[in-house]
Amino acid sequence: MKYRTVIGLEIHAELLTKSKAFCTCSAEFGGGENTKVCPGCAGFPGTLPIFNQGAVTLAVKAGLALNCQINKYSVFDRKNYFYPDLPSAYQISQYEYPICTNGYIDIGGKRIRINRIHIEEDAGKLVHDDLEGVSLADYNRSGVPLIEIVTEPDISSAEEAREFVEQVAQRLKYAGVCDAKMEEGSLRCDVNISIMPYDATEFGTRTEIKNLNSFKSIVRAIEYEYQRQCDLLESGKKVIRQTLHFNENHGTTKPLRSKEEAHDYRYFPDADIPAVLLTDEDIEKIKATMPELPDSRIKRYTEEYSLPFADAKLLVSEKALSDFYDEAVKVYPAYKQVSNMVLVELLRRLNDTGASIDELKFTPAQLAELVKLSDEGTVSKNAAKDILLIMFEQGGHPLDIAEKNGFIIKDDIELIEKTADEILAENPKAVAEYKEGSQKVFGFLMGQMFKKIGKSASPQTVKEILNKKLSNL
Amino acid sequence: MEFNNYTIKELSSLLRNKEISAVELTEMYLKRIKAKDVQINSFITVCEDTAREMARKAQQAIDRGEVGQLAGIPVSVKDNICTTQIPTTCASKMLENFVSPFDATAVDRLKNNYAVMLGKTNMDEFAIGCTSQRSVFGGVKNPHSTDFSPGGSSGGAAAGVAAGFCAAALGSDTGGSVRQPAALCGVTGLRPTYGTVSRYGLVAFASSFDQIGPIARSAEDCGILLSAIAGKDFYDNTTVELANTEYNSKIGSSIKGLTIGVPAEFFGEEIDDEVKTIVMNAAKQYESMGCTLKEVSLPSFKYALSAYYLISSAEASSNMGRYDGIKFGYRSLNGDTYDELIKNTRTEAFGDEVKRRIMLGNYVLSKENYNALFVKSQQVRAKIKEDFKNIFDTCDCIITPTTPHSAYKIGELESTPVKMYSANICTVPVSVAGLPAINTPCGYDKNGMPVGMSIVGRAFDESTIIMLADAFERSFVRREPAI
Repeated sequence: MKYRTVIGLEIHAELLTKSKAFCTCSAEFGGGENTKVCPGCAGFPGTLPIFNQGAVTLAVKAGLALNCQINKYSVFDRKNYFYPDLPSAYQISQYEYPICTNGYIDIGGKRIRINRIHIEEDAGKLVHDDLEGVSLADYNRSGVPLIEIVTEPDISSAEEAREFVEQVAQRLKYAGVCDAKMEEGSLRCDVNISIMPYDATEFGTRTEIKNLNSFKSIVRAIEYEYQRQCDLLESGKKVIRQTLHFNENHGTTKPLRSKEEAHDYRYFPDADIPAVLLTDEDIEKIKATMPELPDSRIKRYTEEYSLPFADAKLLVSEKALSDFYDEAVKVYPAYKQVSNMVLVELLRRLNDTGASIDELKFTPAQLAELVKLSDEGTVSKNAAKDILLIMFEQGGHPLDIAEKNGFIIKDDIELIEKTADEILAENPKAVAEYKEGSQKVFGFLMGQMFKKIGKSASPQTVKEILNKKLSNL
Repeated sequence: MEFNNYTIKELSSLLRNKEISAVELTEMYLKRIKAKDVQINSFITVCEDTAREMARKAQQAIDRGEVGQLAGIPVSVKDNICTTQIPTTCASKMLENFVSPFDATAVDRLKNNYAVMLGKTNMDEFAIGCTSQRSVFGGVKNPHSTDFSPGGSSGGAAAGVAAGFCAAALGSDTGGSVRQPAALCGVTGLRPTYGTVSRYGLVAFASSFDQIGPIARSAEDCGILLSAIAGKDFYDNTTVELANTEYNSKIGSSIKGLTIGVPAEFFGEEIDDEVKTIVMNAAKQYESMGCTLKEVSLPSFKYALSAYYLISSAEASSNMGRYDGIKFGYRSLNGDTYDELIKNTRTEAFGDEVKRRIMLGNYVLSKENYNALFVKSQQVRAKIKEDFKNIFDTCDCIITPTTPHSAYKIGELESTPVKMYSANICTVPVSVAGLPAINTPCGYDKNGMPVGMSIVGRAFDESTIIMLADAFERSFVRREPAI
């Protein structure tokens, strides 16, 4: 590896506003072609952009989630170009005065700087019918608000890029800014990449790979492009500055538009939209609605709750899961035990059924109650798993379920002793083996005990009595 | 009996007193248009059926006693203001058959006031121009003499009012498109403060300048129209919440003691001597009514025209982008690719002046020129605003000629763009500053063509300039064109 990679990213994230950025049409994904369109987002003469303040709130949240400076003055500009998916022949964006600047996130101890976040509108979609030889325009996406997050060229590997995008996606989801579904296109990534010898001081010529829509594609595209650029330089050729498309089937990059360099977007301020002015108070108000972010939660889980890092990371993988855990430990602060119940038993049920946290039929407090019942010995650990399954399938209070199913440990000594006598009498062979020193057979006898008594006896008591009986033989 | 010389105020009282019905009045105007507009060409579309329907509804409202002053009044709407049911062509081949899916807010508000829309008026293509000759439907003629241009771009609106084809009109003013044709046709026209009237439904030419404004037979009538259409609109983020939209509230008040600024730059060598004299005489009349004339200065005057043409063309070049033949309007029959189709569509359907502004605008916005031209022009704009503000520190209003020259002969300006652009030299500075101004006729030149003066007010102080124009109009005798 003679060359190091220099990568900068442009991440487009669709904002979770109900309506579009500049009209009252629904911004929801899907639906039949051109069903979410009005004269405004179709660029009809006489229409004007009606600015959706919700987009500002979400963009500010994104800025806060990515440690940005929030600018109190930002301006909308027009980016002019002709394309049939762009109804008014200009995209409303922010050029000179973006809403957020100078952010960063730390990836494994390394700081990746964010140059800016700006608000812009999405374009429509073209559907090409090769059979009929026509292209059709669907303007449902036209005017849906986006933010574009632009990094500095601080990223130096495909893995780091993936990690960064994952982190950004997770933070945006936490802040309720974007659902970050790459497969639906609500999060897309452009990669700017160049290579340079390790001892060089100047960046190499960069290429831009457009519209990557999965984490896997980001990694594959960067790895391919790195190799392609290395091969070019090794064979004495030059890297040309161009825009590339990544073909997912072939895993290769191909030039997209050769004219790209000649593009002059003729940016200028859009007089139809007054400048966005924010006060300290506005920003504080938005800040107050921000949830605790994943990195802070990991810190809390590992440092205050003494959870293993891997567990903490798994808990924060989804905000709803982490929120559920936090609610549960509020009721019963046995951090590790609750975490185990959530990460092992609950996640297993969720994974098995494909259900989401929001669909659970029980509350975090009820889960906490269950862990407490188990910890206090009211039910056995095994019984607790069975109770969770019942709660998962039918809902209900753990204590009620335990009572109804006879899971409460009663430790009826007389009954246990009587049962022990029976078991020993029924299994002379096992008893003989035990006497010869086999510990394994003790487990078998325990199992036989529970078969008869059910879950209302505590393993500890059963074990004690069985031991006593065996030694008295 | 003919009512074509009546003001809204007069017609309104006839309607209220049941001396005539809204339907009869509408029929009278429709008949007059039919008989005489062949000479003027002020209308692109006359919507007889919808007008009759509106007149019937208006009469019902009048009979119910729900009468505002606009109920039953026949008005016209410039053809760059969107209307459902009838086309909005912008006088362009591009939109020759275009019918908007919505009514402009101003039109909507007129309808709510039961005004009767007779039709859509002719103009320069996309409101770009000041002669009303650049229309795909043919040029408009000045009712005072058909050899002359009516001015523009709202030439059809002004000529129509002057000729008595409607009682009042909605025009649009970017660099002077209401005031200049009003001056050249001898009627009253008002450009409101930017942000007063919603631009929703006004087909954009230069977004930071465009305003819809009334053209009528008196300042008071302009006030009636403005009161109906002004005010905050959800569909236009640049409209302002206004405390008072009763613009005629000051009419008849004493104007004694008001200070009127007379800026020297507006009476310079570019201005025709006859025009200068007529406007100065009008100013002196205010003096005799108890106002003080004060000589003031607008030092940035000489940069205003350039700054205006650079910024407005930049905005126009972007606003015209949507006409690609894909979604609405004209589409070329030739072109196998998107690029070819759009090129052919725009080449075939835009007129020369629109193309000229698009090219100029793209030049201004190009990377190499942006700072030197666009940014610089914005700085000039700020300076002009400041200069006006300084004047208003000591003056209540400003009087200027509306045009450097009375009406030009048709064909005289069209071939020399720079000379044509200079025809807006007196109106443009006010547009650049976003201030309100009203044109009212104040005399006639040696050919009998009208000369107008502009009274410029403080931002959102339309009431004062309406009051002042009204005070002058009370003693001024207008000449009705012999049509």
